Amino acid sequence: MRKQVLAALAAGVALALASQTAPAAEKLKIGFLPGVVDPFYQVMQLGVERAAKDFGVDVVTQIPPTWGVEAETPLLDAMVARGDLNYIITAPVDKDQMIGPLKSAVDHGIKVITVDTYLGDGDYVKGPVKFPLSYIGSDNVEGGRIAARGLAKAIGGKGTVYINSTNPNVSSVEGRAVGFKEVMAKEFPDIKVIGPDFNLDDPNKASQQTAAALAREPNLAGVFGTNVFSAQGAGTAVVNAGLGGHIQVVAYDATQLAIELMDKGVVTLVLAQKPFDMGYLAVAFAVADAAGVTSLPARVETGFAIIDKNNVKDPAIARFIYKVPGK
Amino acid sequence: MTDRGSTVARPGAHGAGAGSSAQRLALLLSRMWAWLFLALMVLFFVIAVPLSTGGSVNFLTVRNSQNILVAIVPVLLLGLGQTFVLIAAGIDLSVGWVMSLASVLSALALRDSFNSGAPLPIAVLAGLAAALAGAGAIGLVNGSIIAKLKVPAFIVTLGTSFIVRGVAYLMSENSTVIGLPAGVRAYGNDALMYYITGPGGGLYFLDRPEVGGELLRRMEIIFPYPVLAAAFVVALMMFLLHKTQFGRHTYAIGGSMDAAVRSGIPVDRHLIKVYMLSAATAGVAGFLSTLRYTAGSAVIGDSLLLSSIAAVIIGGVSMFGGSGTVIGTVIGALIIAVLTTGLVMLNVDAFWQFIVVGAVVIIAVLIDQSRDLIMGKQRKGAAL
Amino acid sequence: MNDAILQVRALRKSFGGLTAVDGVSLEVRCGEVVGLLGDNGAGKSTLIKCVSGVYQADGGEIAFDGATVTFSTPMEARRHGIETIYQDLALANNLDVGANIFLGREVKKRWFGGLVHTLDDKRMEGQSRKTLDSLQIRISRLSEPIETLSGGQRQAVAIARAVYWDAKLMIMDEPTNNLGVPEQHKVLELIRALRDRGVPVILITHILPDAFAVTDRVIVMHRGRKVAEKVTARTNSEELVQYMVGARDDAVAA
Repeated sequence: MRKQVLAALAAGVALALASQTAPAAEKLKIGFLPGVVDPFYQVMQLGVERAAKDFGVDVVTQIPPTWGVEAETPLLDAMVARGDLNYIITAPVDKDQMIGPLKSAVDHGIKVITVDTYLGDGDYVKGPVKFPLSYIGSDNVEGGRIAARGLAKAIGGKGTVYINSTNPNVSSVEGRAVGFKEVMAKEFPDIKVIGPDFNLDDPNKASQQTAAALAREPNLAGVFGTNVFSAQGAGTAVVNAGLGGHIQVVAYDATQLAIELMDKGVVTLVLAQKPFDMGYLAVAFAVADAAGVTSLPARVETGFAIIDKNNVKDPAIARFIYKVPGK
Repeated sequence: MTDRGSTVARPGAHGAGAGSSAQRLALLLSRMWAWLFLALMVLFFVIAVPLSTGGSVNFLTVRNSQNILVAIVPVLLLGLGQTFVLIAAGIDLSVGWVMSLASVLSALALRDSFNSGAPLPIAVLAGLAAALAGAGAIGLVNGSIIAKLKVPAFIVTLGTSFIVRGVAYLMSENSTVIGLPAGVRAYGNDALMYYITGPGGGLYFLDRPEVGGELLRRMEIIFPYPVLAAAFVVALMMFLLHKTQFGRHTYAIGGSMDAAVRSGIPVDRHLIKVYMLSAATAGVAGFLSTLRYTAGSAVIGDSLLLSSIAAVIIGGVSMFGGSGTVIGTVIGALIIAVLTTGLVMLNVDAFWQFIVVGAVVIIAVLIDQSRDLIMGKQRKGAAL
Repeated sequence: MNDAILQVRALRKSFGGLTAVDGVSLEVRCGEVVGLLGDNGAGKSTLIKCVSGVYQADGGEIAFDGATVTFSTPMEARRHGIETIYQDLALANNLDVGANIFLGREVKKRWFGGLVHTLDDKRMEGQSRKTLDSLQIRISRLSEPIETLSGGQRQAVAIARAVYWDAKLMIMDEPTNNLGVPEQHKVLELIRALRDRGVPVILITHILPDAFAVTDRVIVMHRGRKVAEKVTARTNSEELVQYMVGARDDAVAA
């Protein structure tokens, strides 16, 4: 239901703009500052650029080379200093530390939309952080729950499972771990959960950490990789240990590598987020807000596509695999 | 210690001093090139940015210059300590992680002392003390092993960096320390002056004007406290390096360990102090970052080591020891920050900064080497 | 003044199984230049390093300025007034003349009642200039790093440093190596200037012309032992060479 409202909204705005015969107002300029270079954000960038084209706005994109406040903040500051941006769409890399720098941007008259990750507790209406316009992303806690149920089913309801995650204090992966542990505790008491280890966005480290867990935990039956690099690294470790197929892996984020691993039987379930939606909607919201719309929702959950062996070839599902043309 | 070899005059060489005026000009240029490069780069961006944005964005705005100053603080502080170490012909690879540890320690001390009832300024001081104590301890360990056990600095500081990183991570909770009192943000982000442009505006000192909306949008924050702190440290380092016996002896040890030893300079003690100094500047950097982000982070300094070394080398500190200046390091740090900011303003992919910085570092080393060629001498091989 | 400022009696020094200095005795008096000759491995450097505090002798004794001494560090020897100029000069190439002359003993200005000390560069440069002038050493730019100076000038700076600190005995190890001919002459001049000021010099060399040019006496060592002691004016090269290669030995003959 919410999705239809949004679609109508976007269409309405597009029509409104298209029919405008107002004199050439200054083109809207939007800054896009995701978390780091990875396929998830690259697909998000596709969404942003597509929306920019459709709505006729300019986008200034900067992608931090590493995940961290010391990498994201200087780029944010420079964007603000340009003085010509009206909106910044960003994925804050730390839900507490980025409050200051982003508030500063807002003070300087730039409106902020957060995608994929949020500030504070994500409730921009009643929570401690209220200044961003909206949070557009997955309901990561629910995603964690789905992953837990999927993994539990794949390992037959008992055994030990290991979580490998990227960075602490990041709302997205944190939520996934929370949801995962919640379901395991409540619905599958025979399953023991170890981790999460933080690989700090390094797939090599994810691989090492998973290999270590494999070595020390005799009953290890399943692994949950909470995002792109975690899933890739964990899957690789399982393959390298020759345990592909014996240990079930659930991967969050549908990179091509994750899908390949699923074809090989290493990964049993892939949760695809919808980064294209996030990027496109964020731009649409900016445009709507600039046009005077005041009823934009403060939180949009973009949903998942749950991919397994049975539906991976179905085009309606396969379209959610993170594919970037030419990469 | 590094084995630097010595400068040997060719047998029979005679010549009273630096020789022809062409040589002197070349030498002068080799010392000034970083300044020139910075000036040229700024000029380039001042012209290119408005061109590429159709006049809507300018490079040398108040906002942007302040951003650049704020951006260089961590790299500059790390570089200042590293300057001393490199002049003494050593190297400190642990500074990035010492900064992280200091960030965690200061956050913990701040939070815990505030929660035990200490007033905020005292808690902040406790944070600074914790950062300096922790960093100083690491520096002491580094210096002692390098000086007394004669293990190469490269290896020692690399080893301690791993240990420090682990300790920082373990002491933090999942690598960040949050829950600091809200007043900390002011310490890390307030400034010396505030300037509100346009009608209803004005210049305010120290007291942040409580405005909102349009006035807030037009407010420029000038010389935030971290920048002032860094400026103070720069001045202190300049004094230490150029005006005191400590600085003179640092140059001597780097220029000729033999001469230093035989002149009675207590080289071991001195090296320990140098490594403690390097760690202390990293400690200050960690403390300031805790104030800025109102959180301690065990990973904040991870990526800064290489940038700090690049800044120092671009600034003209020789990798072989014995020469370099504080001002050079400041210029080096500025070059990196101006480059990064300018590229964002031009909307060029941030990764290009790595390519450019790398090229500039290599040019810097080549120019350093060329100084010897100009002098007509040959340096015998040096291993780091 | 003809008292011996330095008396070495039956000095012995071994390294493991190798005896580098075997019962050597010698004397140096004020106002004289003593040449210490010998082939490589004769023990000249080792003997000198025992006198200047780098090594501690295994046997025998050293008396300096009337008192028996044992120097456990080079700094101690220096404090007593023994200045040694080694072959590599031990100068800091990246520092200027004044900084080198005062290295380790810098002149400082006190501020805030002694809380803060800064370097008094002006004073150090002034004193250096005076010393260089008194030795008639001409160096035009005192504030350039000494690596810009020629070998002979750097040798001169090392000597000036020793003179400034009131050396009571100067030991020079092969000072004319790596120098061009005019500079060698200059160094020999300086040695004579030192003697004229009353500073005795021990000159280690294997260049016989140098020994004949400046020394008053020569002592020849061979394989750790003193094999000859002659007044320079009353000997010649052939004789000295014979001692140096071991063909003649006064100690045995006596």
